[in-house]
Amino acid sequence: MVKEIEKTGIPVVHICTVVPISLTVGANRIVPAVAIPHPLGNPNLDAKDEKKVRRSIIEKSLEALTTPVEEQTVFE
Amino acid sequence: MKLELGKIQIQDVVAGAEEKIEANILYINPETIVDIVLEDDRLAECSVEIAKPGESVRITPVKDVIEPRCKVDSSSGIFPGVINKVDTVGGGRTHVLKGCGVMTVGKIVGFQEGIVDMKGPGAELTPFSKLIEICLVLEPKEEIEPHQYEEAARFAGLKIADYLGRLGESIEPDEIVTYETLPLQEQLAQFPELPKVGYIYMLQTQGLLHDTYVYGTDAKHIVPTILYPTEIMDGAIVSGNCVSACDKNTTYHHLNNPVIEDLYQKHGKELNFIATIITNETVYLKDKQRSSDFVAKLSEFLGLDGVIISQEGFGNPDTDLIMNCKKLEEKGIKTVIVTDEYAGRDGASQSLADADKLADAVVTGGNANETVKLPKLDKVIGQLDYVDVIAGGFDGSLKEDGSIEVEIQAITGSTNELGFNQMSAKGV
Repeated sequence: MVKEIEKTGIPVVHICTVVPISLTVGANRIVPAVAIPHPLGNPNLDAKDEKKVRRSIIEKSLEALTTPVEEQTVFE
Repeated sequence: MKLELGKIQIQDVVAGAEEKIEANILYINPETIVDIVLEDDRLAECSVEIAKPGESVRITPVKDVIEPRCKVDSSSGIFPGVINKVDTVGGGRTHVLKGCGVMTVGKIVGFQEGIVDMKGPGAELTPFSKLIEICLVLEPKEEIEPHQYEEAARFAGLKIADYLGRLGESIEPDEIVTYETLPLQEQLAQFPELPKVGYIYMLQTQGLLHDTYVYGTDAKHIVPTILYPTEIMDGAIVSGNCVSACDKNTTYHHLNNPVIEDLYQKHGKELNFIATIITNETVYLKDKQRSSDFVAKLSEFLGLDGVIISQEGFGNPDTDLIMNCKKLEEKGIKTVIVTDEYAGRDGASQSLADADKLADAVVTGGNANETVKLPKLDKVIGQLDYVDVIAGGFDGSLKEDGSIEVEIQAITGSTNELGFNQMSAKGV
């Protein structure tokens, strides 16, 4: 999906737990997610701390989306 | 560590009032079995049914299969840390009831339990159609949670395999096979001219009913460690997982791991089998990185020349597999990976979710997406109403005439990644 959307000229950020797979399939902008069963949150945290985690992933993704890249890049 | 495995060939299983093994026939008392199972207050009902090879019987949803075993003249028991006290196993003598299995069946726990046919095209895809299966058909109490039911079902199977195994303690086995691995320095010195080979045993530990236990501990919390291979033959590793039926390792698979068996066969002839390194398949990237780092580090520390790596399950564990392979190869340790494929029903898609050019020696257990038509069989042990929703099933899998069309993913053990099956692919 990442590659098909990018073919149309729209940049894509792949938020993904298993970064090596994302690299293998060819995503250009990768933001690591939390864990496979809960990529965008963490049920072990309380609501306030979890919101922080979620916000940081989104902010990092937006930053990645607007950053020019020359090669596959992981935004740690 | 040296283990004598005494094999008692069971040619028939007879239900009745007596409990004994005589002239290679196992006599079981279903009432006693039910009493033992229902000691667990999380289970509401249990019935015992026997299915034999060639009978027109379909068993589903199958959770685990366990081979009855017992320690002989020993203070320790099989499945240590789970149903017997924690104690190092793998030495001394163990008796095995070959030719039969205890199978846990009944209302589904997750969505990834399997089908075992005792006859027809489905039977050809599972090794369990060749055993006399002692099925425990379980019904949980209504109020319990799925993970509690999974544990109760797991314990039920292990307890009955232990109970029936003990009937063989004083029986003279038909055959005794001895397996021995020496402490590291002695093992290295025993066959100094032969290549030093290890086995990397990946265990499914993704949580949410995808777990494996080592001496009773949840393997998702371990860092990779070393076991004598014979410990595994005594039940040091048990399955607690509801991963896709085709490529989960049941407890039976762990007890009879063919990679270990074959490495022992070549031990002292073609190679020096040094150790088994167990590792996990976790859901956090940093855990995957740490575990694969440890696998590579331990292999280097042991001075291995080559390893066989087996996987369990599919999808993101493909990354654990490739990470292990890559890090070992980068240390100059040769690898062969044993896996299976999800290449689409036509076999044309990418087989693994991850890949690397260093993974250049692969054994496959087959394509789990292949479909198979299973004709109606006369008897069902368990229940058919989950066939459409188990992994490998799809809307309309269960036909009105009682036949089933499913991906072979739904058949227990069909694409096993230890090579405990017939299917493979050969290429250059």
